[in-house]
Amino acid sequence: MSAPLLGAYGLVCRYGSRKVVDEVSFELEAGEILSLFGPNGSGKSTLLKLISGILPLESSGSGQIRHSGKDLSALGPAERARVVAYVGADLRADFPLTALEAVLLGRICHSGGIFRQFTAQDREVARLAMERCLCWSLRERELATLSGGERQLVAFARALAQGARVLLLDEALSRMDLNHQARMGSLLKELATEGRGIILVSHDVNLASEWARSAILLKDGKRVRSGPIQEILTQDTLEMLYPGAELLVSAHPLSGAPKVFFR
Amino acid sequence: MENRNLLRALLLGALAWTAAMAAGLAIGAVPGTDFEIITQLRLPRVLLASFVGMGLAVSGAALQALFTNPLCEPYTLGVSSGAALGAVIGSTLQLDWIVSGIAGAAFVGALVFASALYFVSLYAGRGNLTLLLAGVMLGFLGSSLVALWMAFTDLAGIQGSLFWLMGDLSRARLAGTVFAAGAVLSLTILIWRRSHELDALLMGEEDALALGIPVRSARKKLIFLTSLLVGVCVSAAGMIGFVGLVIPHFARRSAGALHRTLLPVAALWGAGTLAAADALGRAAGGTHELPVGVVTALVGAPLFLWIMLRRRETT
Repeated sequence: MSAPLLGAYGLVCRYGSRKVVDEVSFELEAGEILSLFGPNGSGKSTLLKLISGILPLESSGSGQIRHSGKDLSALGPAERARVVAYVGADLRADFPLTALEAVLLGRICHSGGIFRQFTAQDREVARLAMERCLCWSLRERELATLSGGERQLVAFARALAQGARVLLLDEALSRMDLNHQARMGSLLKELATEGRGIILVSHDVNLASEWARSAILLKDGKRVRSGPIQEILTQDTLEMLYPGAELLVSAHPLSGAPKVFFR
Repeated sequence: MENRNLLRALLLGALAWTAAMAAGLAIGAVPGTDFEIITQLRLPRVLLASFVGMGLAVSGAALQALFTNPLCEPYTLGVSSGAALGAVIGSTLQLDWIVSGIAGAAFVGALVFASALYFVSLYAGRGNLTLLLAGVMLGFLGSSLVALWMAFTDLAGIQGSLFWLMGDLSRARLAGTVFAAGAVLSLTILIWRRSHELDALLMGEEDALALGIPVRSARKKLIFLTSLLVGVCVSAAGMIGFVGLVIPHFARRSAGALHRTLLPVAALWGAGTLAAADALGRAAGGTHELPVGVVTALVGAPLFLWIMLRRRETT
């Protein structure tokens, strides 16, 4: 049996003496969209930051992360960025970069040469990524002039431009309008069928359940449940997480995906 | 289209620089157009102004990126004060027997102050204001220490500290200018080669890490190179403010924010700007020339405020 696209084994992360991620293990296959659920502070974002290398595993925790069987922490930062791309909730706009310039930054991990210039190929990859993320028309605009949702499209395009097979999305669609959320959702499915593995963190469970086939439930940094999304996002789970909350889980009338409603 | 903008920016810079140099060669504290006056006094001076301006603009752009804060520059962050302090201590220790001795001492001063800021930035996290305020305080501290040191050790007393605190190009001589030119050019190229690190750092530490930049080591190397550059500039001409802040800001509008194109444009514009400011200071002062730092502050401080207020509107 071949090694999974991404494997996390016994991940631990401490902030001071508190364990924010506590012995979490999981595997992500190529073509899989995995959703991380859990209340605020359950360690979802921290987990993504450990995998992306934003939080260095060596200094802030322990455990192992493997990509196709190879140890991720043995890779240099640029090599790692070619394997794993991370999309956060916002892009900083302190400097007047245009959307295209921001997306080109995704190609830094590919560039070489003495003066490391962006090549015509880099520009082509950036253009394709922006077209797929519906933001090519914004290319000349400065980041500060874009809306929160438009910046998220640009951030998504930048991650695609990295060409990584593992995509980590941390509230990356949260400010998009309904149209863009739906379009990016189909793009996620497309990317999965192309062989990428995607991990999704979203406080909007109904959005996540529409695209993810599998899910992991985190609580206090621990993995409490994992499996197909229908088995994780259940009435039972919600009762356990939020005792007494007036919530109802019901299947989507067309897709059958589990959805959460207020009672 | 991008290339045309860039070409125009470079051309404009080169023209402005040439005009400023011509003005600088024509106007002088020692009047006259003798060949000797021009080659021995004015030529070194316009060239020194140019290379110091270049160094300040490039170090400003680098500091802005590496601290992810567009209001950074050697002067507002106090790095220049650190360099000046190093330089005055170096002169008392009579390190000036070699051309680069004072520059070396200034580099050490700049590095100490810049490293202090680096640690502030590690603990202050995303709070940009904390960093700026810490820089301003460091600047006051360094300047006061310069005055204090001069008052006790220099024959000219506290008067002598004016050279360091207001910036002054009148001491330019050929040997020092050649050294400064070589140092500024090579450091600019070394920083330019790190354009991608600077680019990624514009998006903040987390994004830079996710984009594949080894942020800590990149920042340390950039602080080292920038401190060297500030050390060279301050040891040659004292503390000159606002060139490092204003030039990168305006250069970004023509050259874009990516450093491969930004740095050459900022370097050229910085050179032209300081050469022009120095010529202006000489022309405006009559028999007493104005220190160049006074000219840059008079123009730069209001621009700083304007940039700050405009930023508030967009974010």
